Amino acid sequence: MANYSTSQFKNGLKLMLDGNPCSIISNEIRKPGKGQASNKVRLKDLITGKTLEKTFKSGESVEGADVMELNMQYLYSDGDTYNFMDPESFDQYVVDETGMGDAKGYLVEQDMCVVTLWNNNPISVTPPNHVMLEVVDTDPGLKGDTAGTGGKPATMNTGVVVQVPLFISIGEKVKVDTRTNEYAGRT
Amino acid sequence: MRDALKKYACFLANIRQFFCEQEVVEVCTLQLLEHPVTDVYIDSITAQVNKDIEQKSRYLHTSPELEMKKLLAQGSGDIYQICQVFRDNEQGSQNFNEFTMLEYYRLGFDIHQLMDDIVQLLKTLGVHYPVSKLSYAQAFIQYGNIDILNTDFKTLKIIAIKQGLTSDFEWIEDLQILLFTHLIEPQLQTLPLCFIYDYPASQSALAKVEGQVAHRFELYMNGVEIANGYDELQEDAGYKDVFSAELNKRQQLVKFVPEINQAFLSQLENSLPQCSGVAIGMARLLSQIN
Repeated sequence: MANYSTSQFKNGLKLMLDGNPCSIISNEIRKPGKGQASNKVRLKDLITGKTLEKTFKSGESVEGADVMELNMQYLYSDGDTYNFMDPESFDQYVVDETGMGDAKGYLVEQDMCVVTLWNNNPISVTPPNHVMLEVVDTDPGLKGDTAGTGGKPATMNTGVVVQVPLFISIGEKVKVDTRTNEYAGRT
Repeated sequence: MRDALKKYACFLANIRQFFCEQEVVEVCTLQLLEHPVTDVYIDSITAQVNKDIEQKSRYLHTSPELEMKKLLAQGSGDIYQICQVFRDNEQGSQNFNEFTMLEYYRLGFDIHQLMDDIVQLLKTLGVHYPVSKLSYAQAFIQYGNIDILNTDFKTLKIIAIKQGLTSDFEWIEDLQILLFTHLIEPQLQTLPLCFIYDYPASQSALAKVEGQVAHRFELYMNGVEIANGYDELQEDAGYKDVFSAELNKRQQLVKFVPEINQAFLSQLENSLPQCSGVAIGMARLLSQIN
């Protein structure tokens, strides 16, 4: 993989740091009057999901990470593993529980999502911002409550529990924001 | 548009008025020089001239410092200059290839007198912010819990690594500067007007050294570096040592290494009178006043 000089740093660039692939979130250059310029970089570790901050001397080179983000279709789960397919190449990829992370609560079979590959191995799965899920279990709603004030927990067909308005009942399909795990309306 | 222009013109007029009252004389020195700057991390912009006669390289000045010092050595007395300066390879949101600098020298002043004078100048520009003064060592203790003057290169490297900073430096001063920029400077944002003075001797530049420290200061406004001042070196030998050291470092960093500026050194046969001088970035200053 190529090395990148600090002058090539930009948001989204993937670098290897401490053995993990990372993605640049922000890059701030500081040049003191008499001193050398430096780059203060915030990165997301694509394996742990943690945000870290690193400072480089301007002109320093860092090893790039072979990371690709591909649109894939979620096929099925074997229980411990999850199977995806690149609809362009028909290549199939197997993602383990760790790589799946929170995404497993939002994906139903046939859904499209983004799978991040590092050295052609899947490391993480990002569901669309909004997904349609079916309520499989929740307390009966209160009659007449249509304003959706208050709320109650509801278990979705993926297993994830989302706070929904009181009027939602079992069997209904609801829209869920995957970034916040919040109810975002009905169909 | 016109309002902004008038405001800037008025700002310049107030500065000139301030210096006029104190009998500091405005000068205008050459901007196209035979010798580029030797500062390790400041690069001159090169201009090729006289291509039809006998092509030569000339260099846009990065600061009027040496040209003004030639005047000081010839007995000019207190002088100031407001001019455009040019620097190559500048990067960052606050750095530009061309900017306006106010540079002035006061005979007989030490850096504390010059800092007081800057406060007076700012008052005439309508700036009445509370003034903080911290030595470089105090700032490091207060904001970083580091005894910067007594911590060796190896230990500083360990501190840098713990902070997620690079430690890959050839010289301790570069690491000190990085630590200041990333650990101390962000914490100066709460101070509207803060002088940092007495830099480690390793960062003396063209300032006089006494013991562990160089009599040098910087002005920060809300954490933004605005000005840089020295109790100026007086003897040619001192300048020669600094230039040689800077050129050596440039060579090690595989940067452009110009000839030593003998023309300047020969002007210092009558050494500089004791004086303190400061360079102020005008756009940065304005950005912190408005």
